[in-house]
Amino acid sequence: MDAFLAGMALLLDPKILLVVFAGTLLGIVVGALPGISGSTTTALLLPFTITMTPVMAIAFLGAIYCAANFGGSITAILVNSPGDPSASATAFDGYPMAVRGEAGRALGMSAVASAIGGIFSVVVLIFAAPLLARMAYSFGPPEYFALAVFGLSMVAMSGGDSAVKNLIAGAFGVMLATVGQDITTGVERYTFGVYSFSDGIEFIPVLIGLFALTELLEQASQLARRTAMARLGAVRLPSWADVRKCAKAISLSSVLGTFIGVLPALGATTAAMIAYVETKRWSKEKDQFGKGAIEGVAGPEAANNAAVGGAMVPTLALGIPGSGTTAIILAGLIVQGVRPGPHLFTEQPTLLYAVFSSMLLANLLYLALGLGFAKVFARITQIPPQFLWPTVFVLSVIGAYAPNQAMAEVWIAIAFGFIGFFMRRFGFSPAPLVIGLVLGKLVEETLKQSLIIFDLSWGGFLNRPIALTLFGLTALFLLGPFLLQRLRERP
Amino acid sequence: MIAVAAMLFALTFGFEKLPAGLVGGFGAEAFPRLVLGVIAGLALLLFIAPPDSEPSARIPPMVYYTAGSLLAFMALVVLVGMLGAMFVFLIGLGYLWGERRAWLLLMVSALVMATIWAVFIKGFAVQVPQGLWH
Repeated sequence: MDAFLAGMALLLDPKILLVVFAGTLLGIVVGALPGISGSTTTALLLPFTITMTPVMAIAFLGAIYCAANFGGSITAILVNSPGDPSASATAFDGYPMAVRGEAGRALGMSAVASAIGGIFSVVVLIFAAPLLARMAYSFGPPEYFALAVFGLSMVAMSGGDSAVKNLIAGAFGVMLATVGQDITTGVERYTFGVYSFSDGIEFIPVLIGLFALTELLEQASQLARRTAMARLGAVRLPSWADVRKCAKAISLSSVLGTFIGVLPALGATTAAMIAYVETKRWSKEKDQFGKGAIEGVAGPEAANNAAVGGAMVPTLALGIPGSGTTAIILAGLIVQGVRPGPHLFTEQPTLLYAVFSSMLLANLLYLALGLGFAKVFARITQIPPQFLWPTVFVLSVIGAYAPNQAMAEVWIAIAFGFIGFFMRRFGFSPAPLVIGLVLGKLVEETLKQSLIIFDLSWGGFLNRPIALTLFGLTALFLLGPFLLQRLRERP
Repeated sequence: MIAVAAMLFALTFGFEKLPAGLVGGFGAEAFPRLVLGVIAGLALLLFIAPPDSEPSARIPPMVYYTAGSLLAFMALVVLVGMLGAMFVFLIGLGYLWGERRAWLLLMVSALVMATIWAVFIKGFAVQVPQGLWH
């Protein structure tokens, strides 16, 4: 409780208040800009958090993460083009509402449902993360290895064309983490004589390349696309009738979104899609879905914001990212010299509670900003790509260059921009690669430590029940969908 | 993919060899080989049972021009320095992507550069490459 109060007290620091406000504002703006997602922004702004304290840095990135999901709904409703992938399901009913002149009503419901979902998940985070950390406190290297493998296996479901492609991308991420000096022997691996590779591949240029520069090339292929914006009247708080109508959808989706967010590698987009389907299933007006049902806006918006807090649970308590964006936030913490995991709850509880409090604040802030300034944010979505994307490139270059002041990092960012573009063309999602890159060192380190404990015998894992359970879950998640499909295909 | 994995696997034979006692039974090459084995297995699975995905459309020429402009930017940094290259890039890519109002391109680019200069060069004291003619 003391740590919680101390964490809350940190929010009284004007600098932290300012970064949370700036993060929320930036999150809404970039979330609303088609093509620039929360992941892109956190990757782009990651280098600039280096000069901040760890609390400020994670509060800033956390606020962007919270607000970007809501920002995405503005474009989804007004332009039928989700600013953030997590708002895709919102467009199904949000845009038809806007077309029939109810954009303000849809945006009002989106802001309220997002804030309720977000606040619910942060409350769960406040209680669940310490519990999970306490459970994990007795984990040794074998359990951590099994947990990291479980986290990696979950990338199979994290988007892209197929589970196998996601796993391959994740494995390539792990391979990237092997570049540089081996942690135990000091032997150089895949450095090709390049001095800056000795310490391994830096996260920042890779993340900037995979998210920002890949998207720049993607945008170059869509220049002919034009969007028409629906008229926006005043954005209002939802009426009592709307609240009553959507209460079930918001509650169900908040719980669903938080749960899906907690599962490693499953993020807000999956949560919103599943919530949409479930909201429709439990609705009394199923036939209205797709034609402008307000529940179809409330459900996905509550779920995608609930997934944010959920995804932070394994990220902070175990050091296993819950989504692509939390993998970037995790990288940000590592860059700051903070390794998330159960020990954080005993060593730096104030930092964690400050992060939780700042996320709560961010949820309240975007509710106020969303209701008050939706018209302004809607205007921002109309910035022509001819000005927006060259600026994104310039920021990417300075972002990749600034931390080490080395042009090699800019080359790495550009190279990963090309790699990410071709990955997408061939149906590979860049998010699993990032998760693999972030978890790679942990996987190798804990495997080596485990084998030393077991006297180089892999059979040692059989005597560790928690590790065995996690391996079992990994097998279940990897093979379950294939086996189910086979069973269904049987006559 | 299998070819890339095989190439990376072959490279592990070039890693420095240490005495077995120092390595502790799990050398620097062991983990990459394990991961590459997993990649090869998955790639084989993908080859045997490819997913039902639509073939991706042809890459529009504009993507190549844009990719070329990124490389041109890197070359320009050597000549005119990072700030100069950024200014040229802001105008160049805007023009390439169809913006023809020169005054607007110049104004926006100057505004972006002024922000970059104020925040990064003055604020964070980032020292950027100055180019050949400095």
